[in-house]
Amino acid sequence: MIRFPILLDIYQRGDGPLKRVERISLPETGDYSIGRLSENQIVLDTPEVSKRHATLIVREDGIAVSDRGSTNRTYIGDTEVDISPWDGALPIRIAQFEIHLVAHTAASASETKVNVPQDNATRALASGTPAPAPAPRGQSIEVALNAPSAPDEMRFPRNVFKSEIVSASDIKSSEYFAGESTYLTVGAGLGSFVWADHLRIFGVSKNDIRAIGDDVTPYANYQRLCRNSQIPPHERLRSNSQSTPDNIWGFPGYASRETWKDLKEFRFGGLTHIFQVFGEASLAQTFTPRSGEVFKSIDSEAQRIGWREMFVAGRVLGIRKTNDERYAVAYRVPEDQARGGVRERIMIGKFLHISTGYPATRFTDDLQAFKARFPEEARVFNAYENHEVVYRSIEQNSMPATIVVRGRGIVASRIIQRLYEARSKNKNITIVHQMRNPIAKNEGYRYKRAQRYVYNHIENQAFNWPKGTWGGQLLRETDRASPEERLKIYEALGGTTTADRRDWRNIIQLGLGDGWYKPVFGHFETLELVKTDQGPKIQMRLKAQPNQPPVEVVADYVVDCTGLIGDISHSPLLRDLVETYKLPRTLGVGGGKVGGIFVTSDFEIAALRNGSGRTYAAGQITLGGPQPGVDTFLGMQYSALRSVDHLAILGAPNVSLFGPLRSFSQWIKWCTNTKP
Amino acid sequence: MVPTLKGRWLTRILLFLWIGVPITFLFSLYVAGPGSPALPYIGWHYDLLPFQILSLILLVGLVMDPVYFYAQQFRWERDWPFAYFFFFSIIEFVIVLALVWWGVLDFTRSRSELHTSENYLLFTVHFGCVFILSFVAVLGLIQIFMIRWRFKSGEWGRM
Ligand SMILES: Cc1cc2nc3c(=O)[nH]c(=O)nc-3n(C[C@H](O)[C@H](O)[C@H](O)COP(=O)(O)OP(=O)(O)OC[C@H]3O[C@@H](n4cnc5c(N)ncnc54)[C@H](O)[C@@H]3O)c2cc1C
Repeated sequence: MIRFPILLDIYQRGDGPLKRVERISLPETGDYSIGRLSENQIVLDTPEVSKRHATLIVREDGIAVSDRGSTNRTYIGDTEVDISPWDGALPIRIAQFEIHLVAHTAASASETKVNVPQDNATRALASGTPAPAPAPRGQSIEVALNAPSAPDEMRFPRNVFKSEIVSASDIKSSEYFAGESTYLTVGAGLGSFVWADHLRIFGVSKNDIRAIGDDVTPYANYQRLCRNSQIPPHERLRSNSQSTPDNIWGFPGYASRETWKDLKEFRFGGLTHIFQVFGEASLAQTFTPRSGEVFKSIDSEAQRIGWREMFVAGRVLGIRKTNDERYAVAYRVPEDQARGGVRERIMIGKFLHISTGYPATRFTDDLQAFKARFPEEARVFNAYENHEVVYRSIEQNSMPATIVVRGRGIVASRIIQRLYEARSKNKNITIVHQMRNPIAKNEGYRYKRAQRYVYNHIENQAFNWPKGTWGGQLLRETDRASPEERLKIYEALGGTTTADRRDWRNIIQLGLGDGWYKPVFGHFETLELVKTDQGPKIQMRLKAQPNQPPVEVVADYVVDCTGLIGDISHSPLLRDLVETYKLPRTLGVGGGKVGGIFVTSDFEIAALRNGSGRTYAAGQITLGGPQPGVDTFLGMQYSALRSVDHLAILGAPNVSLFGPLRSFSQWIKWCTNTKP
Repeated sequence: MVPTLKGRWLTRILLFLWIGVPITFLFSLYVAGPGSPALPYIGWHYDLLPFQILSLILLVGLVMDPVYFYAQQFRWERDWPFAYFFFFSIIEFVIVLALVWWGVLDFTRSRSELHTSENYLLFTVHFGCVFILSFVAVLGLIQIFMIRWRFKSGEWGRM
């Protein structure tokens, strides 16, 4: 058992001996992030430390440290660790820092805690003391789910945002005021980028747009998720050629650009991409771009529209309407931008846009429970987390290894592909593919006269929704439907699918034939840790299907591919916004729970209208709304176009109506890489 | 493409006006013999035959569209691959040729004048030009000018 608070001493090695720089107290169980960025709960601020370097997992029965794919790695003593229990005998070493566990004899009971503050360097993390506990980060899995709560009415921005409508002049005269902008987008991810790109091309100057977010690279978060789910730069994504976050017209698409590149180097094979586009989505395997190419294209468009000048680094903590028909956005800037130690800022905007992406990754309950029971056993992972350790450990020798891949979506396909690649180093890898239930060929989803194709118990579909939801009759149907009808359409069209890729089919065929790929069906009834000669393993018993014997699996690792959590209440920012302004929600698919934030067909959050001020949203947080595929490149292009068109009709400053001539001349500028 | 029926019709009319009419105009100048009517003011001779063919192509297309749209209902994606567009455009032209052969344009001029092999070759070259440009337009040219077209199931106008 661990006694709380846990005290940690952080030492730094300079030129001379180790110097203690800080004492930290951890008040309760939780996952504490360590890294260079100020949003980490334990900040180690030197360039050698990665932005999000490691996580300290604190449970009732022990502490563990897990590296998050850092550049310079994490060590216990002199041993490099990916994830490992930590008893404090040796310090955790990260770059020139050492983290020591302070023995409880030195500061054991809570009385001693009173003494600790005399040591000015002690910082109590998230225990309600004046030290600012970083807000749980939407994008960081561990913290979002387990962050210690810090209710404190006096804490920024609650101390300023005392009512639903705040006074703009009060804010402007406060120490927090950081400027005004006509257009302001929150998140600064891909959704924000595409929106700002539309505004720029429709005529708005970069001086009138600001994007507040964690990272200046618009695809930083997306790239991290891709990398963790085993999509490196040369692997292909799931969207089609015309889904171009760097080009609002969708032309030229990625296929013709790739073909052009190939032809210039006399590689005529590139012409097949064009045929793939002709045959999409049924005759040929659908063309999808390489992730690296997409990122490069976004870099170049970011350069063209002046994204860097529009970007403001910060984590948004709250949004309020102002009394002058605008919005106040409160945020905290990174430590290196603090002014006299103050990191809190408020910016005022007239037209707001929110695209904060997925609030958290999902862990199915049984896995969550297992993780909590055996925190020191890094055996179960979410596919969106860094789980390189799995591949590294199974590839390093030819010990038999069994990996359970849970879920049947596109990420599961990709992970199976990665494990197949690992088999070239270790022939004794077995993949157990756990799916909820078998699906027969004729049991695919149905909507009106059509039915989805099933292969190997997996529904196949080129993209995450049927193509017609991005601009065809299906979009029209969802757009016009009442909330209840909409839910029905969503339920009929939705569900987990994977793309029909030839290589993936071949892997399954091969694996089924050779016996190293086994599909199993049902929920795990029990999940236990067992000690074997080959070390600890996870023993699972599968709830028996009716009239079938129970299945038992003993595995080395479980990779959960069942997804990311779209539930916006996992984001403190959105939860506060929904509660403060009673924002209507959409109906959530599956059990009628609530879904995203309700937006109009123009992607406006109508309940946030403030006189002539407007707020729009994009991406995952609008799920269940007028368009199903909101969390896709093309979906974000659609929502950006809808909302910017809406602004044009409202007469928002410098937003043109964008008729054919302007469209064409702007397209020429895009082609010649000229500023809009 | 993910067209609705209205979107199919409107796109067809758009291509007719933007691409079909200008190209057909060039062909009508080309085929005009000395006996053809002349344009006022400029005095260029023209022949209506290419326009009659183009109109037939449009008409056949407009009639076929509901059939395609019906077929689309059995496709899970509710889409219409570019390859289908390509293939069925050629089918439509074959239907047009069959109609001409059968005699729908016989009221315009004498059979011996109309049903010559030069004329059928001309129809094919004419169709080929219109078709290739239309196909390129559908692949990307339209959306350069009409950015909302691809999200509006092929219909024109604002969102
Ligand atoms: C593995 C994976 C593969 C995908 N593949 C495809 C694909 O092939 N094709 C496709 O079309 N779509 C794909 N998607 C879906 C989608 O296109 C991407 O997820 C896209 O990045 C979503 O953009 P976004 O702006 O909504 O979110 P993000 O790009 O994640 O941006 C949101 C940003 O907001 C920031 N943020 C959140 N809260 C706050 C706050 N309070 N203050 C400040 N900043 C905040 C986050 O740090 C993040 O940077 C994929 C998604 C995943 C996860």
